[in-house]
Amino acid sequence: VIDCDIHPQVGDPEELLTHVDPAQREWFRAQGPSLGLPGYSWAHPSSWFRQDIEKNGHPPASDVDAVRRELLDPSGTDAGVLNGDDAVLVSLMPSPYRAAELARAHNEWLRERWLDAEPRLRASILCPAQDPQAAAAEIRRAAEDERFVQVLLCAGADRPYGEPRYLPIFEAAAECGLPVAIHSGGEGMGVAAPPGGAGPVTFYIEWHTLGSACSTMSHLVSLLCHGTFERFPTLKVLLIEGGVAWLPGILWRLDTNWRALRSEVPWLERKPSEVAREHVRFSTQPLEHTDGRDDLLFELLEAAGAPDNLCFASDYPHWDFDDPGFMLNRLPEAWRAKVLHENAAELYGARLGLPAVG
Amino acid sequence: LAENNWVDVGSAADLERDGRLVARVNGREVGVVAELDGTLRGIRNRCPHHGGPLCLGRVGERVEGDPGVYELTGRSSLRCPWHGWEFDLETGVCLDEPTLRAAVYPVRVDDGRILLQV
Repeated sequence: VIDCDIHPQVGDPEELLTHVDPAQREWFRAQGPSLGLPGYSWAHPSSWFRQDIEKNGHPPASDVDAVRRELLDPSGTDAGVLNGDDAVLVSLMPSPYRAAELARAHNEWLRERWLDAEPRLRASILCPAQDPQAAAAEIRRAAEDERFVQVLLCAGADRPYGEPRYLPIFEAAAECGLPVAIHSGGEGMGVAAPPGGAGPVTFYIEWHTLGSACSTMSHLVSLLCHGTFERFPTLKVLLIEGGVAWLPGILWRLDTNWRALRSEVPWLERKPSEVAREHVRFSTQPLEHTDGRDDLLFELLEAAGAPDNLCFASDYPHWDFDDPGFMLNRLPEAWRAKVLHENAAELYGARLGLPAVG
Repeated sequence: LAENNWVDVGSAADLERDGRLVARVNGREVGVVAELDGTLRGIRNRCPHHGGPLCLGRVGERVEGDPGVYELTGRSSLRCPWHGWEFDLETGVCLDEPTLRAAVYPVRVDDGRILLQV
């Protein structure tokens, strides 16, 4: 099993602060436990985390032992990718300078506290997307450590990622041979656009339904329309936690519009859905519940490129976690090896350091 | 009217004035439009996508380019007036959905008359 989405928590902010430049440490300390990251306007009504793992006196998933015991060992995970949790919100901080420093410190914290401690773990490079040049520099710096297997961007953003301002990020990722993961979260926070397309929402349930799906769709359509994959033919993008049931619909819609409106984006010589099949992967979690119509879901997803574009993700330790065993049983038998292992192995390639499949 | 299936579909003067000619031949609407360089093309006046009157669309210059760059190609295309899908006038192939094709017909001008081979 390869798990594309594990969220390590910062147990003690001081631990992270040891990696921050002393000239900036006082500022971060003064921000309190948030470390200056924007806060959620729509908080989960009870807990962001699985309740069974929140009772050990520490925040869940804040130490390697707990992650081994609760996730890696029981699920037989061969490799799991750590994605900064709240830290992914660095890109929404008003100050790009603080964001760049916190991203760098977080990458170092991941390396020292997590990657050095557990050989099954890999990590995503956090970077300050609001300053693409600085982000590109951090990607190139961190990528020298092969245990960093992808770049991580926050789906909450002030502008969609296909825009030319972000090119340095994708250029650096492509140059380093790293996929770019865009993870849901942050919609409507800090400098990010509101979730959905109709202004702020009222409830967490609305945010959790719309925020991640709509922002993910926006980035997907933006990247495809701007010709990002025509610019960087080796680039792969992994969209995490935005759902997948909408995928066939949005691609059919985009293809239909492309036929009529191609002159606006004349560099798209192929149907956007074909480009998406080749370059875009999706995490399974949270796989939509279908009221017993999984057959329909899988048939639709097949039309959109599944199972070749689906990668398993647990989202441990969050409340809407997908257990690998549960997922194994839910997926069509012919999809299981691809989704749980092979697609991610191909996506991350040699950096994963696992023996080749088959 | 018809000799070797060449059919008189209108006058060159009308074509020049209106930018297109549409005629009914054997119960089927056909049309003649000019490419940007003046080459006349005969094409069925029915879009294979939705059935729109293809020949009432605009002939324009196909634009291509690398991401972020717009470049004129010098090649003409006919844009259906309904959904805007573009057609190559020489082959009738829909450039935006190559599985679709509109029938095309040879054209010639004879003594001020436009003849279409259908």
